[in-house]
Amino acid sequence: MSEVLEAPVQAKKEAQEFEPKIVAFLCKWCSSAGSDLAGVSRLQYPPNAVPIQVMCSGSVSPLYILSAFNKGADGVLVSGCHPGDCHYLKGNFFARRRIYLVQKLLKFIGLESDRFRMSWVSAAEGTKYAQVVADFVKDIKALGPQRKLKAKN
Amino acid sequence: MVAIEDIRTRARELLEGGKVRAVLGFRRSSAGLLAEPTFVTELNDVASLVWDATCVHNLALYLVNEKKRQKAERNPDTRPLAVIAKGCDSRAINVLLQENHIARDEVVVLGVSCEGGGVIDVRKLADVLRGKEATAAAYEGLGSVKVTTASGEATLAASDVLADRCLECATAYPSVSDVLFGEKVDERGFSSRFAATKAVAAMTEEERSAFWDGHFERCIRCYACRAVCPMCYCDECVVDSTSFIVGPTTTAEEKANRIRWIQRSTTPADNAMYHMVRAMHLAGRCVDCAECERVCPVNIPLRLLNTSLESEALEMFEYTPGTDPAQPSLISSFRDGDPNDFVR
Amino acid sequence: MTRRAGVFVCHCGTNIAATVDVKNVVSELAKDDGVVFSKDYVYMCSDPGQQSVIDAIKENQLDSVVISCCSPNLHEKTFREASSVGGLNPFQCEIANIREQCAWVHKDRAKATEKAIKITRSAVRRSLRDESLTPLGVPVTRKVMVIGGGIAGIQCSLDLANAGFDVVLVEKQATIGGHMLQLSETFPTLDCSQCILSPKMVEVSKHPKITLMVQSEVTSISGFVGNFKVKVHSKAQYVDPEKCKICDDCAAVCPVVATNQYDVGLTGRRAIHIPFAQAIPASYTLDEEACLGLNPVVCGKCKKACEAGAIDYDRKPTTTDIDVGAIVVATGFDLYGKDKLGEYGHGRYPDVLDGLQFERLCSASGPTGGHVLRPSDQKEPKNVVFIQCSGSRDPENHCAYCSKICCMYTAKHATLYKHHVPDGNAYVFYIDIRSGGKGYEEFVQRSMERDGVMYLRGRASKVYQSKGKLKVLGVDTLSGRNVEIDADMVVLAQAMVPSKGTAEIAKTLKIGRDKDGFLAEAHPKLRPVESVTGGIFLTGAAQSPKDIPETVCQASAAAAKVIQLLSKPELEHNPAVARVRESHCTGCEMCVDACPYEAITLVNGKAHVNEVLCEGCGTCSGTCVRAAIDVKNVTQLQVFEMISACMGG
Repeated sequence: MSEVLEAPVQAKKEAQEFEPKIVAFLCKWCSSAGSDLAGVSRLQYPPNAVPIQVMCSGSVSPLYILSAFNKGADGVLVSGCHPGDCHYLKGNFFARRRIYLVQKLLKFIGLESDRFRMSWVSAAEGTKYAQVVADFVKDIKALGPQRKLKAKN
Repeated sequence: MVAIEDIRTRARELLEGGKVRAVLGFRRSSAGLLAEPTFVTELNDVASLVWDATCVHNLALYLVNEKKRQKAERNPDTRPLAVIAKGCDSRAINVLLQENHIARDEVVVLGVSCEGGGVIDVRKLADVLRGKEATAAAYEGLGSVKVTTASGEATLAASDVLADRCLECATAYPSVSDVLFGEKVDERGFSSRFAATKAVAAMTEEERSAFWDGHFERCIRCYACRAVCPMCYCDECVVDSTSFIVGPTTTAEEKANRIRWIQRSTTPADNAMYHMVRAMHLAGRCVDCAECERVCPVNIPLRLLNTSLESEALEMFEYTPGTDPAQPSLISSFRDGDPNDFVR
Repeated sequence: MTRRAGVFVCHCGTNIAATVDVKNVVSELAKDDGVVFSKDYVYMCSDPGQQSVIDAIKENQLDSVVISCCSPNLHEKTFREASSVGGLNPFQCEIANIREQCAWVHKDRAKATEKAIKITRSAVRRSLRDESLTPLGVPVTRKVMVIGGGIAGIQCSLDLANAGFDVVLVEKQATIGGHMLQLSETFPTLDCSQCILSPKMVEVSKHPKITLMVQSEVTSISGFVGNFKVKVHSKAQYVDPEKCKICDDCAAVCPVVATNQYDVGLTGRRAIHIPFAQAIPASYTLDEEACLGLNPVVCGKCKKACEAGAIDYDRKPTTTDIDVGAIVVATGFDLYGKDKLGEYGHGRYPDVLDGLQFERLCSASGPTGGHVLRPSDQKEPKNVVFIQCSGSRDPENHCAYCSKICCMYTAKHATLYKHHVPDGNAYVFYIDIRSGGKGYEEFVQRSMERDGVMYLRGRASKVYQSKGKLKVLGVDTLSGRNVEIDADMVVLAQAMVPSKGTAEIAKTLKIGRDKDGFLAEAHPKLRPVESVTGGIFLTGAAQSPKDIPETVCQASAAAAKVIQLLSKPELEHNPAVARVRESHCTGCEMCVDACPYEAITLVNGKAHVNEVLCEGCGTCSGTCVRAAIDVKNVTQLQVFEMISACMGG
């Protein structure tokens, strides 16, 4: 009897306390520098996204993204330099095509498309970085935990 | 109509002249309707070569396997191999050429047009025949397939018994060949390109999610899909810790540093991971021969994963795998005008 | 072998400690596998902070160090050097950024601390697999190529040559000098442009360290910083500059009249001509396109007329291979296209001029001998309207940016006009007057107060011709009235755009451009004369609109950067480059296609990385479907471990 009563309460409590786990792959030259600027400007955004700095968004293998989901990420962000601004000239163009395909594939198997995002954030766009993360956290909170690709430890 | 005698004549010429070390083709099987792949090295065996709608295998796989076998040989015969290739086989050969896995002078491609038809899907055929066993099947042209059973011959609608990939195929003739048998037929009119994948894409997110969960749940990770795929020619598969190569030169550090991207367990999540990684690694490389789907023991519609990306590649990047071995592959190229709206 | 990592967490005063529980980070990390030492300190970057890293490395035999502090952009170098002093390979020291990417952007102490632990743990996992790397030594070619022979290229070449470096100055036109040579006077001092430029041009021609290549363009480049191989294509030099006596006998007999670019189309010249009297090289030149024909020779009069025997019709274009250690791009600007300014009638009405044409009208060496006469009837214009921001500061229709120098040169033009035609009226339409610079504001004030130039705040909307007059419609926003002026001449202060050659050279050299097409600098504030490609430097108006003093300043800055680069016998190249796992490589060439630096080639059927060309971006490893290529110290295994750490695993 008590189990029946408690279950919805528990679920509601979980929904309220759900803090999404997000991995953010940031390219060193633009997006990581942009997030540094957000820091220097003391912009506040939710702490859910843990950054991993990579040299270039072009180095982000689909395996990184899938692995993050597999390890329990509720959302994955890949952020690079705007088209034409890549420190490595064109790494972000390769990333864009590759990540487009990953996104379409994840969508195809029914993973909520809001869980995987790509953004262009330049070194000057601290505000944008803070906004991208804030929006992402908000959208994922609405979705709840990701289970589709999460391994059972 | 493709006359099998023409193919046999050419095969005989190639073998007689010693120009090729073998002719890779199909022969009748003792184990059911489908023809089986064969390496013909003796002139006497040339007569066993067949060509009809039961030749479903992608022979490019046998080129790949033969390559592996040959690598291990001490004094390999370096003469080229002749291979009978229908449209999808030839596209696979083109991808292998593009990736330098085989060289153009290593193969003599005996291209065969499906002449507007294709190969049969044994599951569909079994359904249509309601338990009767077919002993022969041939595409007759004009959208019909002649099937022979113990109780006689029947003409069936091609759209009922041909494989989905054939019904959706836009170019059912070789994209590379040294000699072409049969006519190139562009008019098809069975089904639209990517029809099956588009039907899944048209579902709601929840429906799609449930659809795939239901399928991935059944996966037993037998890796038959990988074993049959001509593009899965890596010695070591990144998604599978059981295929790690350990050779005499493998150091303990290397063994310790292997990345276990995916668990071996057959949970739906890990199964989905496996199939996601496989689909990504086949993006721009899969030629939709649908062998993965055919061999899947638990009937997961695997080709849909690959064709979903193939359709994106075509529509967004104007890229068709296996058409041009000289072009850079889908993911090692880009255009300034690639989709950008999805990026925040 | 088990690795031994040390973790150092910085309070940064209260910058980090106010939000992140630093002690908690230290105690949590101390529990991690491989961490044998951990501590916190109020300022890790201070001398005692650095010393504690050095001591800890020695005392605890650390082979990995993680400093959890501010952005690696600030102190990665500091701590890598300290690690090196302590005897650790600097590439085994990693920075965890818990200030900019954590403490400064969050308020919730518990959550920020949790995130700081993840960030630090992620860096620890990475560092535990960092290998010891040694920078690659690359010998350098102590020779520099300067592309573009305007004031920027001239100044840069002279600075470099005077510092003892060999310089190859490549110029597309038949003479060096660029746009500065077309100017009459320069603001704010009104000294004669040619008088200050020609001595520098002569110095270039006489300098033993400078090789001047005119009518030449860079067609391809290979190699890398310190060792570039450049191909330069030169047009056929039909007139030998060594023999040419500049006697004008050839031009006198030439039957062809072509447009004189030097006078911006206001005059004509012969097919064989000298661009202007002070041209360097001091020689006539034959305009191949204008000439009646050289193969076969159609006319041949100039050769017959030349007593010095300087003309040879059989000369062929040449391609020269030049090895240089560094390249400076100084390809300059063009004026924003006339065709795009239809509203001002530019190109339709002969008396609507661009800024450079007006310079020629004011110049003593110009088509009118220094008298301001309008092109249509050679009469002195009594009412002249100057329109600022023609094409600038107009994001909807034209260029969004401010071209920076037009306020000043318009003030100069109006002043010069008033000097030439004291009874004339000069009107200036402006949006704002931007006169930052030494003596600039005073100059503008003088033009208004002493020379009586009339400034109207507002845009001119349209210029059209009616009854032989140019009607200028505009608005004076200060009085709030529409204005209509009957003008005899209109001068547009067009936007500065990167020269046509700039786009081409950027493509050839593979250096980036910004959204407006100007060459992109490596950092907008801290590295303004470097491109993102090592060894290629930028200067002048090709990088952004700028005036002469600024250009000269930047040219010298670029020279200083080149001297700094080439003063060492060997260059250090970052050793964190791609490495192929040959056992896994199938030779499919996807990485070869994807590498932005053409650093990968197939050798014996396997990918091979030229470590000096590789910049370590990892696009290859993101592309490879066989996990057969990795960037050292950012391997896929390391990223895999970092993802685990971020996920709390």
